[in-house]
Amino acid sequence: MDNNMMDAKTLAYINLYAVLGSLKYLCELSPEAKKLAGCRPVSIGFDVHGGPAATLTVGEGCCTLTEGVGSCDIKLPFRSAEKFNGMIAGTVTPIPTKGLTKVGFLTGRFTKLTNLLTRYLKPTPEDLKNEHFFNVSTVLMFRLIVAAAAQIGNHDKVGRFCAKYIVDGNIRVAIAGGPAAYLAARGGRLTAVQTEPETMLSSMEFGSIPVARALFEGTESSFELICAGQVRMTGMLLQLDNLNRILDRVGLYLA
Amino acid sequence: MHPVYRFDKSMETLKRAMKVIPAGIYGHLGPVEGAHIPIDAFPKYCSRADGAYFWDLDGNRFIDYMCAYGPIILGYHDPDVDEAAARQRALADCTTAPSDIMVDFAELMVDTVASADWAFFAKNGNDVTSLAVLTARAYTHRKKIVFFNGYYHGVSPWAQKLGYSGILEEEVANNIYVGWNDLEGLERVFQENKGQIAGVIAQPYMHGNLADNQMPAPGFWQRVRKLCTDNSTVLIVDDVRAGFRLDMAGSDHYFGFEADLICFCKAIANGYNVSCLCGKDFLKTAVSGINYTGSYWMSAVPFAAGIACIQKLKRIDAPKLLNAKGQQLKAGLIAAAAKHDLDLRVTGAPSLFYLRLADDPSFMLHQRWIAECVKRGVFFTSHHNHFINAALSDADIAETLEIADEAFAAL
Repeated sequence: MDNNMMDAKTLAYINLYAVLGSLKYLCELSPEAKKLAGCRPVSIGFDVHGGPAATLTVGEGCCTLTEGVGSCDIKLPFRSAEKFNGMIAGTVTPIPTKGLTKVGFLTGRFTKLTNLLTRYLKPTPEDLKNEHFFNVSTVLMFRLIVAAAAQIGNHDKVGRFCAKYIVDGNIRVAIAGGPAAYLAARGGRLTAVQTEPETMLSSMEFGSIPVARALFEGTESSFELICAGQVRMTGMLLQLDNLNRILDRVGLYLA
Repeated sequence: MHPVYRFDKSMETLKRAMKVIPAGIYGHLGPVEGAHIPIDAFPKYCSRADGAYFWDLDGNRFIDYMCAYGPIILGYHDPDVDEAAARQRALADCTTAPSDIMVDFAELMVDTVASADWAFFAKNGNDVTSLAVLTARAYTHRKKIVFFNGYYHGVSPWAQKLGYSGILEEEVANNIYVGWNDLEGLERVFQENKGQIAGVIAQPYMHGNLADNQMPAPGFWQRVRKLCTDNSTVLIVDDVRAGFRLDMAGSDHYFGFEADLICFCKAIANGYNVSCLCGKDFLKTAVSGINYTGSYWMSAVPFAAGIACIQKLKRIDAPKLLNAKGQQLKAGLIAAAAKHDLDLRVTGAPSLFYLRLADDPSFMLHQRWIAECVKRGVFFTSHHNHFINAALSDADIAETLEIADEAFAAL
């Protein structure tokens, strides 16, 4: 990787758990995605040498990601994190070692699903004029960022250093009137949970969907939004300070 | 009942500021580093200050327990300090050759601070903690510096951490971190880095932000001193916050040991901008050879203010006086909390006490209580130690306790 401020292995974890992981929410939010996933379940195992391994199951209108590749219909091994990241970037074509007869699924429905995800995550200005599209796109970005923060806190060198200083407990991240999630910190490791927490030590809440989008895209300054009361942080600052440093790196990896 | 303040003019001014000043108010006084939760419960700008109070743009008066985050030890506009500064200003301030009052001030510092053989002046605490680290490295020709977790030694890259904005891994690569009071950990670090540790830097007790303050365990400092001596490592005490609030001879003196280098700022001149690194004779050649200076570092007015301030602090026995005021406030605050079935922990030295409501581990209840106090005219802050000043009267303390009680009731 050219940029020595980040590493390929962390990006692979982000690509698998945060990017492909967000297909679950795409199916929940987009009828088009739900329809594309409305087939008999097919599971794809992504096995990155020295990196993450997980199985994405697409079918019956939803996508689910589970740890490991022990039981999958199609298995895609990658010799390195760079190769896997290349597949996500569209520069590497993977060769299955299992499920050769189902390659059509990969090039058909699955590619359409991932193309749709890309459209929501990297939308055109024209698409964003549609309020529903704008909202779905922003919620997906929110889910992606929360999931990516956990991966950075667990794998990136700087992220791990920051996560080490996050005291144990749940950090709520939410958009007022929109989705909520939390990062569960335990012993310096972070787990992203995409629901409202039952208990929390700290909370970071964005004032609205447009405020969240402006922040995610960097079109508004987080400092100005804090001063305007549009980004509200309360509770255990030792969590929030270090989470903010990790979130700063999310932008670096997802740029 | 005290009225609940509004901060309309402060917020309007903050909006103006956001257009031309990064973050509106950058750094530790500002709203974006977690000091103002919620944002609209705190004044943003000051219109004037006097004695133990400051007033904001909306005309709200605050009993000030932050004292400009430490410098104001005698109270705002102390007449003796201001008069000395005015006298010097009429003579000379920022000049081509430094005024000889610089020598007077250095002599006073060496006479006052038990471990000092010399004094080197700068402007901010960060200037002198950085100089202390440079000196340790220059003297030992070693790279590594040991820090105690929860530290704050300023904002230079060496004093920040991996992951902080703009900080490179290489800039903190020689930093080693040990837990406060963890002598075993410190001994292990010395064993693992034999002949490589230039300095150990520490505050006299753990008064880091966001956590209850911790005093040194019995024998801690004496063991640290011995480890440094045995390993030819320079022992640096960062007395920027606690200096002259515990002991006029330095906080190392208070805890019964001698630092090799000791850093002062904040209370040294009651708000006039000067800081000072004091050190042992054996380090004088090393510090003399460091290329380190600034345009305003030899300005004479702060030296005059510093002399007047130190002399007055000695005259009134400031550490004893501030400790007594702090004890009185501490007892009253704990009682006020208990009246509402709340457990308020007051830690650290009473003259620079740290507050935490222990009933809620998330701090949210604590942050709400602090905000209710501020909205009624007592300027506390949620996660930083506070500061007592000599102008704080018994009536101020009584009013503070009334407001604290009202704030508890408002939760």
